[in-house]
Amino acid sequence: MADTSVLPNPLREGIRLHRTPEPCAMVIFGASGDLTKRKLIPALYYLYREHMLPAGLSVIGCARTPATDESFRKELSDAVRNFLHLGSESDAFVKSFGEGIFYITDNFSDQKAYDQLKLLLGRLDRERGTCGNRLFYLATPPSFFPVIVKHLGATGLAKPQVPGRSWTRIILEKPFGRSLATAQELNRVVTSVFDEEQVFRIDHYLGKETVQNLIVFRFANGIFEPFWNRRYIDHVQLAVAEELGVENRGSYYEEAGLVRDMIQNHVLQLLSLVAMEPPAAFEATAVRDEKAKVLKSIRPIPDDRVNDFTVRGQYAAGFVGGQKVPDYRSEPKVSATSATETYAALKLSIDNWRWADVPFYLRSGKRLPKRVSEISIQFRRVPHLLFQGAGGEGIEPNVLSLRIQPNEGISLKFCAKLPGTTMQIRPVQMEFRYGESFGAVPPTAYETLLLDCMLGDATLFNRDDAVEIAWKLMDPILERWQQDGAKGLAFYEAGTWGPAMADALIERDGRKWIRL
Amino acid sequence: MAEQPPTVMLAEPRAASVANLEGELSALWRSASEEPSTRDALTRSCALTLLVYVESEAEGREVNDLIGAVTAQNPCRVIILIGEPLGSPPGLSATVSAHCHLPEPGAKQVCCEQITLHARGTSVENIDNVTLPLIVSGLPVHLWWRAGRFAPPAHFDQILRVADHVMLDSARFPNPEADLRMLAARLETGVETLKITDLNWARITPWRELVAQCFDHPARRPFLDRLTDVRMAYEAESPRVLTQRSQAMLLTGWLASRLKWEFAERRVEGSAEFFVFRDGEREIRIEREARQFDGAGCGVCFTLDLRADGAAPATFTFSRGPDGAVVQTRAEVPGSGPVGRTVRLEVMDEVAILNEELKVVGRDHVYEEAVRMAARMVASA
Repeated sequence: MADTSVLPNPLREGIRLHRTPEPCAMVIFGASGDLTKRKLIPALYYLYREHMLPAGLSVIGCARTPATDESFRKELSDAVRNFLHLGSESDAFVKSFGEGIFYITDNFSDQKAYDQLKLLLGRLDRERGTCGNRLFYLATPPSFFPVIVKHLGATGLAKPQVPGRSWTRIILEKPFGRSLATAQELNRVVTSVFDEEQVFRIDHYLGKETVQNLIVFRFANGIFEPFWNRRYIDHVQLAVAEELGVENRGSYYEEAGLVRDMIQNHVLQLLSLVAMEPPAAFEATAVRDEKAKVLKSIRPIPDDRVNDFTVRGQYAAGFVGGQKVPDYRSEPKVSATSATETYAALKLSIDNWRWADVPFYLRSGKRLPKRVSEISIQFRRVPHLLFQGAGGEGIEPNVLSLRIQPNEGISLKFCAKLPGTTMQIRPVQMEFRYGESFGAVPPTAYETLLLDCMLGDATLFNRDDAVEIAWKLMDPILERWQQDGAKGLAFYEAGTWGPAMADALIERDGRKWIRL
Repeated sequence: MAEQPPTVMLAEPRAASVANLEGELSALWRSASEEPSTRDALTRSCALTLLVYVESEAEGREVNDLIGAVTAQNPCRVIILIGEPLGSPPGLSATVSAHCHLPEPGAKQVCCEQITLHARGTSVENIDNVTLPLIVSGLPVHLWWRAGRFAPPAHFDQILRVADHVMLDSARFPNPEADLRMLAARLETGVETLKITDLNWARITPWRELVAQCFDHPARRPFLDRLTDVRMAYEAESPRVLTQRSQAMLLTGWLASRLKWEFAERRVEGSAEFFVFRDGEREIRIEREARQFDGAGCGVCFTLDLRADGAAPATFTFSRGPDGAVVQTRAEVPGSGPVGRTVRLEVMDEVAILNEELKVVGRDHVYEEAVRMAARMVASA
């Protein structure tokens, strides 16, 4: 007789049932922070509410703030009610969710707290049927990562409790280091305790529905991929613009800057999805192999040519949304002589058969006129101008725009004849908008990513090699900028599209930034 | 998650010439685009054609009231077909209208058009000729069969030929046992190449999920091979008794078909029915009982107990909570304490279910097998 325990659950068959992970205990280090209240617990609550999490799911909060199970439950229940605007939600249901929440006061370096955690996890296995499955979520500042990881290893919590029958995973929040050396050190520490397969590096950008749709757009449609190469594409632009300034994150931003905050992770992740070769399958190893491969093909910018391929800027005072806003150096916890970049534009080249001679222009900044993330694929001009002297000057190259946020959608710019007896040509847009074709509200990035992690699907998480390659590309730029200090930093008025030098970067090549 | 935007009518439904419905729709949009208040603020959206079949004018009005909430999630051209073979005087009439969904500030209103065709007497036989040219080319066609049993007359053949998906509702079957048998026969003969889904099946999906979740962990899987007793109670005295009766049949059919049990016999004792199945040497008894439930709430009102025998017996119970909005689940298995939880019981309304059904891709073989098994169980009724 077959061993039914190794066969798939026959009741799971069918197209309607959600993917539900096995029962587990999720341990959040840094649980008193905003991320837990604003993102993690609301996401878990929604998944639980929609029956996508199993009975017995337990959450253990660990943080330095002294609290009890009861006070922590109340704090999280209030957070769930506040952030999700729950009105008529059944009290019994919220209470049931709360029964699975526990708290341990932990300064992250006290072995006693880890011993207590081990005992609690064992108790939850027995009492709530969590089956030895553990998910550790590191929502602390990165400086605590090594000490937590080492203690988890020393306490025997890093390896699966029942090999082959249970799992242990760890989620790390970005930033994954602040340079190649620190990223390598972090990876070394983490992988000295956990196997790489157990490590899930979360970049919430990858959990966005429209980012996932980029893969679908490229590989579920027969018509685009044949044109997705140097033969038809002139260049690619990636833009991630924010209206906001640094708000109350001045001290973090002074250490990070825009490249570490946006380009090294979000923007390069988008680039890798746009430029990668078709993976063998839509599964973690195949997709992440292709992403890493294309990142490796990006030509490094030599130290002595950084200024030829990059522009960095910092916002000066200006107006955003009709409101006067201060310059970056006047923001709280920012140095009055700061040389930190709040804007960056880069020109990158990918040295492979598909993308040879197709530049990728990246730009991202704070205090720009609006919040928008968009990938624009500009196609080559027609090879011969048929309509010269007959309105041919209206002919513009085709542009395929993939809007990540807001108003998520895809548009294609092409030329059309202006109605009338004369031949006049104007560009028009063919548009697809998510909000118009699908009324359903998509899950948040954290709902998608937490569920994926519990199911063991790492497709949308960063792998160590990709993180290191991205740092390897950014390090020379950051080092050069650090050496130059404020020299070479271009200032731009808040509420404008960045410094004029950024326009020059692309105009040198006879191209222009796409109007966003 | 954000709430759905409110829906408004772009214009009052206007009577239209059946011979020129596309022209009438164009005129409707033209007049809206010339209106200063809506000029440049509207966008016409359509991702599919939704045909809705009803058998009376009153049901047509019900659908009319519901449909705005469908187009908000699934922008489409809606064609409501009202077929009254016994209606008089014979003839076909039509109206056109449009629903718009109020957007966030700065965004355009998304508007969807609706055509209502009302056929009386012998004119019902022409309903397909009038409908076919109105179907939006190149987009999927879904038919919502909001009538009684699923027995489309011959004049529906052409519509079924172009439809990709039929959504019926076994809760509307006047005689659930006979009508499910009829549906099973349609599926059994292979005549049915259509994708058929059932709103009533979707109503029990949360229960199927809860039961399936109990056996997700590999250590729990062997209990499925040792199940011997299943007890299922559903609400007896309720306007929903027919709905619940067919739900109970589908749930039983699902469990038995998924676990490859062979149906042996059916017995009735008082208000309880027993269905006996075999799996090799093992006998499995499913007891179904219609009984009074206390408390408020509506929708699916089951209790379900599963018992696995053997050296180490285990039980899995699911009980509707007193407020009708939650289910208490409890699993008692050897080697660990009882694990229970309260689960929110989502009672989806018709529109919410329909919106989900419109997303279903491919045939639902699990449903089809459950229907076939349910039909075998009641074959002698």
